[in-house]
Amino acid sequence: MADPPIVVLVLSVCILPFLLLAIFGILWSVAYPAMLIYAVLFSGQKLNEQIEDTTSREVSLRESLGRDPLTTVDGGYRTDITDCGVVWAGVVFGPSHWHLLIGKINNLIGGSIDIFQKVVSAGRAEAMQRLRENAVASGWDDVINVRIDTSDMAPQGSQSKVKAVEVFAYGTGVKYG
Amino acid sequence: MQLFRPNLEASLTGAGYMEQMVQGILVVNTETIPGMMITETLGVVSGSTVRAKNLGRDITQGLRNIMGGELVKYTELLEESRQEAIGRMVAEAMSRGATAIVNVRFATSAVTAGAAELFAYGTAVKAE
Repeated sequence: MADPPIVVLVLSVCILPFLLLAIFGILWSVAYPAMLIYAVLFSGQKLNEQIEDTTSREVSLRESLGRDPLTTVDGGYRTDITDCGVVWAGVVFGPSHWHLLIGKINNLIGGSIDIFQKVVSAGRAEAMQRLRENAVASGWDDVINVRIDTSDMAPQGSQSKVKAVEVFAYGTGVKYG
Repeated sequence: MQLFRPNLEASLTGAGYMEQMVQGILVVNTETIPGMMITETLGVVSGSTVRAKNLGRDITQGLRNIMGGELVKYTELLEESRQEAIGRMVAEAMSRGATAIVNVRFATSAVTAGAAELFAYGTAVKAE
């Protein structure tokens, strides 16, 4: 059996990447509408479940401690602090493509875009709850001087497919003597 | 994208920084350290890092983004890189002979899609 001529080899090597790209493109064009329909049906429900989960964890932690461990006061309000150290928590949180679409339509009319506000505040509540949990897990009694940063994972003009914000909460954990 | 150049050396030294941090330099984001007296300030120290996940993670997180909600791998990425940034800040403070860093602030910026710069800065002090 003769070896295939060199021209065929070179051609196949040149064409192969484009062939793979075309296959991915076809798969994507079929799969994306299906995933979008899934998101339309279930993303609102998922967001509500996420908010409920965060709220129930927050309530149970508050009940077990008897107070909210986070304060934004610098230096705290007590003088019997024996130990301290920095503690932080972050979460990357994004709206679904269905929520993005609702937001875009809402943006035409103007006014408050409630769906984005809901998504971002859900992410922020989750980050603050993780800060509480991190602080409790590290053995701190309270967290003072809490700061919350929000930064965009997909800045304007970056051509990013991922639309999300990062919420980052940090503070100083303190232990009372 | 660290697809072709795994930054092994940097992550190893980052782990080393974290060990030093555990050995005990005090990092707080308050202006004073409760129960301690600041005797000397040694200037601003900072540490930063730019990191990205690989292409595969970017694709899976892009798919997850259609459904919305938390992007777990990006959360992990930012967690790791923030530890590295803090480690570098701590190493700079230790080289100046500080015993604590006060008033630490964090800043985040996205350089391109999927690559984030994490920046931590604070004031190195000697405290007793």
